[in-house]
Amino acid sequence: MSTVLGVDVGSRMTKAVVLDVEAAPGREILGCGKVYTHFDLADAARRAAAAALEDAGRGAGEVAYLSATGYGRYQVADRDLQITEMTCHARGAVELMPGVVSVIDVGAQNARAIRLAPSGRVLQFRMNDKCASGAGRFVERVAKALEIDLEEVSGLALRAEQPCEISSICAVLAESEVINHVTNGASIPDILQGTHVSISDRLASLVRQVGAEEPFALTGGVSRNEALVRALEERLEMRVQRHPLAEYAGALGAALLGRQRLHARAHAVPT
Amino acid sequence: MNRGAPSRRLDGILSAARDEVQDVEFTALRERKRTDPDFHAVGCFPVWVPQEVVHAAGALPVAVWGGGDRIEIERADARVQSFICSISRSTLELGLTDRLDFLDGMLFGSLCDVARNLSGVWARNFPDQYVDYLHYPQNLASPLAPGYLREDLMRLARELGGRFGVVVDDDRLQASIELYEGLRARLRKLADLRSAEPWRLSLEELQVLVRAAGRRDPAEHAAVLDEVLDLLPEREVRRQDGIRVVLEGSFCEQPSLELLRAFDDAHCFVVDADLARGLRFFREPLPPDDDPWRRLVDGFLHHAEASIVRHVAPHERTARLLERIEAADADGVVFCTAKFCEPAFYDFVLHKRALEERKVPFMAVEFEEKMSSFESLRTQAETFVESILFFSEEVVG
Repeated sequence: MSTVLGVDVGSRMTKAVVLDVEAAPGREILGCGKVYTHFDLADAARRAAAAALEDAGRGAGEVAYLSATGYGRYQVADRDLQITEMTCHARGAVELMPGVVSVIDVGAQNARAIRLAPSGRVLQFRMNDKCASGAGRFVERVAKALEIDLEEVSGLALRAEQPCEISSICAVLAESEVINHVTNGASIPDILQGTHVSISDRLASLVRQVGAEEPFALTGGVSRNEALVRALEERLEMRVQRHPLAEYAGALGAALLGRQRLHARAHAVPT
Repeated sequence: MNRGAPSRRLDGILSAARDEVQDVEFTALRERKRTDPDFHAVGCFPVWVPQEVVHAAGALPVAVWGGGDRIEIERADARVQSFICSISRSTLELGLTDRLDFLDGMLFGSLCDVARNLSGVWARNFPDQYVDYLHYPQNLASPLAPGYLREDLMRLARELGGRFGVVVDDDRLQASIELYEGLRARLRKLADLRSAEPWRLSLEELQVLVRAAGRRDPAEHAAVLDEVLDLLPEREVRRQDGIRVVLEGSFCEQPSLELLRAFDDAHCFVVDADLARGLRFFREPLPPDDDPWRRLVDGFLHHAEASIVRHVAPHERTARLLERIEAADADGVVFCTAKFCEPAFYDFVLHKRALEERKVPFMAVEFEEKMSSFESLRTQAETFVESILFFSEEVVG
């Protein structure tokens, strides 16, 4: 029984999803894996793939098609195909949250707002590709400045009473601003939620540029950050759908599209 | 992964050819000129110059196709406008910086106003070189065309031969034609191999070998190509998924090798292209003929690729593009056009209309020699691939 592997090489985390080629809809996902990317992107892809295959209880020899996405996709040497993040996140989001017509994928370094056709095809997208101003790395830097574990950020931010204003859009300069707030006696929850509000403003701007409508979904690692999701919902005045596997949406989309290609090739008329 | 000896040998051959075609100092040819006083070389500006006649007249035809991204334009802008194509400016720069002083002459073939003016600028700036702008027949169907072209080729042979102390007789020209026919046959085989398995020989590698044919002795390069053709089946490769496309619009100025790599990176596999058209001008072998002049003339009139530089009627050029798309089993077309290239843009409009009518997907990019970032081009190609692989029914329908 063969499998399809989708690998999403992100700037912070590399994710992989293993699909059963022939399984019925809803039962295809056999396993997932996630590792820190570090500096060797090819190695990160190998480690994430190994983790996902182990989770699936499958061997590397059973992989019939490997599709890669993410900013490091060109470093996945054994790939059959590389696919842009936009197309993969759109496909993954539609699979996890059927019916969505708008998606925002917020990763560590980039955020992408996407408007979809019902088929999952990308109609329009916008991304912040210049810096980390609207992405997870921004939260990470602030957490580091406050000496807080990243996993604690959301819980603490939800306790905020009067979120601080973080006006800088530069993650590096925002760190100085955070230190000023600390110096002025602001509470850590207020500073953290101020950070989330600041990011949400920029995400909402991206979302509006593509004319996003509900049902609206959030994918990427930041989807686990409850406090940021609430801030975004307030800014957009829309409900933000999430899924436990939303972080794997890119890898899942890559795997699903890979499976589509595998089936197309199997049914192609030989020339 | 330990790579086998054939792959390593192939890498070595490709690396040497790559260095040579990117060498704006023409080191190998200069060295040959320095050590061999009887060596003569004539530069050939694209698109097509009859290499066989130059060779038979006792000189090596050398493709002089600009300086690519390796030189800065400093002196040429004093003589030509800055809003003309990169290849004209950088070729002149090569000359004005004495990088082409090993050449005995420079030939330009019917192409465009810019090339025609460049030949005039060249003649004025390099009085010691033999400089000519060859006027090919404008009306290929005219009964006068064969005789006119034959006379002009003979004139060129007389003038060049006179300069190098050679009388170009039939035997001599026939031998040169056979040499270049051999070279073209091998280049066709390579292109066929690339078309069958694009992942076995990248577009960039194929073009390196094609362009090297414009700088090397034809017999020596034919031997290199024979070795490549032997080694390629042994190369360790992995099949890749993607789309097959015909590339059109790069018949004169050549995109950088990095730009070509971007297409393969995106798995937008170019399986037929008009890149370096002049070195692969004849789309099929020239039929044998005891009269070598008639053989060349017949080749130009009846066996060359339909191209805007050959003055074939526009509808014939579009018909030929459609034929090539079908023959290559291509999923779409990439128009890769040099900035300021009027002939290519003229064709683009006509081709585009025909492709839209037939619902053949296409994308268009512009390039120039000094491009340094290929990220957006790669993303564009990648998106084109995705639109065909995953959403072709929606896009075309």
